[in-house]
Amino acid sequence: MNELFFIQHEVMPALLRGMIISVELIIPSAICGLCIGVVMGVLRVFGGPVLSRIADTYVMIFRGFPLVVQLFIWYFGLPHIGIYLSPFVASVVGFSLCSGAYHSEYIRGALLSIKRGQLLAAQSLGFTKTKMLISIIIPQAFRRALPGCGNEIIYLIKYSSLAYMITCIELTGQGKIIASETFKYTEIFFVVGLVYLALTTVASWLLLRVENRLRLPGFDHYSM
Amino acid sequence: MKEKPCVLRVENMTKRYGQKVVLQDATLSVDEGELKVLIGPSGGGKSTFLQCINFLVTPDKGRVWLDGKEILPNHKRDLYAYRQCVGMIFQDFNLFDHLTALENVRIGLTRVRGMEKEESKEKATVELDRVGLADHLHKYPAQLSGGQKQRVSIARALAMDPKVILLDEPTSALDPELITEVLAVIRNLRARGMTMVMSTHQIGFAREMADEIIFLEDGLILETGTSDKIFSCPKCERTKEFCSKIVELYGNSR
Repeated sequence: MNELFFIQHEVMPALLRGMIISVELIIPSAICGLCIGVVMGVLRVFGGPVLSRIADTYVMIFRGFPLVVQLFIWYFGLPHIGIYLSPFVASVVGFSLCSGAYHSEYIRGALLSIKRGQLLAAQSLGFTKTKMLISIIIPQAFRRALPGCGNEIIYLIKYSSLAYMITCIELTGQGKIIASETFKYTEIFFVVGLVYLALTTVASWLLLRVENRLRLPGFDHYSM
Repeated sequence: MKEKPCVLRVENMTKRYGQKVVLQDATLSVDEGELKVLIGPSGGGKSTFLQCINFLVTPDKGRVWLDGKEILPNHKRDLYAYRQCVGMIFQDFNLFDHLTALENVRIGLTRVRGMEKEESKEKATVELDRVGLADHLHKYPAQLSGGQKQRVSIARALAMDPKVILLDEPTSALDPELITEVLAVIRNLRARGMTMVMSTHQIGFAREMADEIIFLEDGLILETGTSDKIFSCPKCERTKEFCSKIVELYGNSR
């Protein structure tokens, strides 16, 4: 009886609070990450010699540094140069930048798959480079990149658990606190894992809906 | 007879890829309402020549005038304005795959010319109707046949009210039945007085329609003349050889 009371009044509310923080971390990070990814991917392919090199360097660094190290730099490192970020903001910044680097790779691949003829046709109509990218190239590339980008978002949901390392107490953080108070590591983390599973399942379903929504003849999947 | 004004003039167009010269000192002048046809073997420089004319390929040398005004490709603004006046039709259509036929024709009007939504829709509908596609406005390129795609691409070019249209082997990717429908559209354009430069292997069509035929091989213009002259008594041995081969292959099919 005691046990049930404890779960109802201590464990569940704490995990729920954690889950809400997690979702609040994931949504802006996913959106910002995707935007950064699109911009960086486009710059890497169409940015000309200078901008593409800058974007390449960005991707090299943010894919190369372990994410925890990046978070430590944002949270513990920046105060040395007078910039103080809250644990939440530091996490969102860290996740967005890291996620953007990975997204840019999917976007880059999709951009490279657009046939040169599409560019020639747009140029021959008098499109400027920017307008061509916005109206012709990106809408096509985005559709092709979506499965990969979705994968990155699913991955983001799980690496958002690293936020607790810089004291942003989200789902994993709450789980760890309760577990160390109660020594019920197995049960608590099993529940935490299930919550992540639920989040990724919902995200996959949403992403599939977006894919279906954007599906066009010529961009559809071929069923065998 | 009154002289027709010269619409497009190209002088000494030269393009190299590394050591290989793909186009050398090609010169061309097209008067209003004329159809000039480029013939010659594949890889002879026809596509490069056409793409150099609107600077889709940057020539190493060469000057272009439209309506007597020289185009300087380094002036981006002028270049974009110039390209709006020069329609281009590609061998493999190059329709925008994510847009319907109607949107394909509209997008240049709205995004490049800044036309109002309703107006652009009306104009695009008229242009598609004119190439016989009024029933296919809302189909995507993947749902259209090759001939229909090419007609959409012609409508897309025409919607911009170009002064001249460049056609780069517009029927080469089509099977014989579809070739006829596309050639009919081009014939119709000619009757309406559109100025055109076209590269093709459709010798019969060239013979019938062209004001002047230009034979291009290995990047060089070997011979220029009226179709009668080119087909009946070509000066150059190579032109004769090419013409007889291609007639043998394709017949005089229209």
